[in-house]
This record gives sequence, structure tokens and C-alpha cells, in this order.
Amino acid sequence: MTKMFYNAKLDADSYMDLINKLGKQMFEAGYVKKTYIDAVLEREKTMPTGLRTGHINVAIPHTDVTHVNESAVVVATLEHPVNFYLMDNPAQQTEVDIVFLLAVNDPSEQPVLLSRLMSLIKEKEILNKIKKANDNQTLEEILSLKME
Amino acid sequence: MRNSFKVLSICGSGTVTSTMVAGKVKEEMEERGYTISTNTGKPTEALSLAQSNDYDLIVHTSPLPGGEYGIPTISSVSCLTGMGEEEFFDEVEEALKSLAK
Repeated sequence: MTKMFYNAKLDADSYMDLINKLGKQMFEAGYVKKTYIDAVLEREKTMPTGLRTGHINVAIPHTDVTHVNESAVVVATLEHPVNFYLMDNPAQQTEVDIVFLLAVNDPSEQPVLLSRLMSLIKEKEILNKIKKANDNQTLEEILSLKME
Repeated sequence: MRNSFKVLSICGSGTVTSTMVAGKVKEEMEERGYTISTNTGKPTEALSLAQSNDYDLIVHTSPLPGGEYGIPTISSVSCLTGMGEEEFFDEVEEALKSLAK
């Protein structure tokens, strides 16, 4: 099973601050290389990952597999929404409430994780529950059922 | 009638998001009776891959650079957000139908 990190109601000033905080958790636990955070930030500048779902907006920052040791996902809900640029319209920003920072070392070996994540993003009720979760344990309870 | 198609899925990193979308397109189109093989790539590779004649259709989550692709190109962000997803699959199927003629 893929390692999951949970962060409920995280306080971040910007998407850069957020990626730094979340990426650090994966780096300290050894899941990503030292280059990972900068690579994610660099990618977000040119190929952003904000997604408008028509409801609660999400972002799925990630980068090339070369910066990853072992696959992991950091989930964060935010105390205050953070602006991300849109994947399909990089000139435009949107307020994001839930972030999934992805470290994938081989996408072909992660089809289950990726497809579960995709279904999750489309489920309004689940996104609502995730957004409302007040602590990491609640977040874990909601997500471990969905991602395992 | 031709039934087998090659789909190129493009995203920013050329791996993660495009793999998610490629799997979804393959699954949905095979349910609709088509045989689909997929590959993934980055926006910067899209034009030369399109012009290699190896692909029938491009789906993309990041914007594609301008150029003469010569094959249908369809935005696949709805595959990630769920918003307009059915319409996206219908559009892909329509493109496959016209290629099959």
C-alpha cells in the first residue's frame, strides 16, 4: 500500500509555501530526493496542477519520477484556500481547498493508486468530508477507506 | 470497419497525469467496443509524435503548443475533474468513429 501523509487544516501563505511544507514531510521520511521540492515548484510554474471540479477545487502537484525514491501521497486540507494556477489554463488562478502532493516513482506500477485518486477527486461528498475534517485522524479515516 | 486505435495522452510531466488519463480513456472506450493502445508524452513532444503517424488521436490535460497536428486533439481535464466527463468520452468516440470511416 502506498504511504499516505495527512495534514488537516494546514496554514500556508501560498502554493510555494505549501509545497515546501508538504514536500519536507516526504523528504524527511525518505520518500523523495532532495531535488524533489524544487522540481515540483519549477514544474508548477510552467505546467500547473490546479483543477476546477465545479465544487471544491483541488491541486495535484507532482514532478518527474527521477526525483522520487518511493511512491507516497501527502494530503492536505487548508485553513485558508491557496491560489494555484489551472492545469488547462496556466494563465488563470483558482482557490484550492484540498491538495494531493504526489510522489510517484513508476506510474505503470501505480495504476490502482492513481485511478482511486482520480475517482476520489470526482466524488463531491467525499471532497466535502475531506474539507471539513478537523484533524489528521479524521482525514485518515476518510481516506484510508478510499485509497486502500 | 477499423476498430483499433492508438491514443497519445499528454500532460505536463509526461508520466503521472497522462497515465491516469490514458488508463481511463482505454477503459471507457473498450467498454464502448474499441480496442485502444496508449502512450504518454509531454507537450513539447506532442507535435513531433503527432507527425510521426504513429497515433490516431491526442488527449491532453496541459495546453498543446501551436502547430499542424494532423490528428484530432481533445482536452482531457474533465477526466480528472469529472466535470463534463461524459461529453469528453462522447467526443473521443465521435473522433474514433470518423477515423474508422
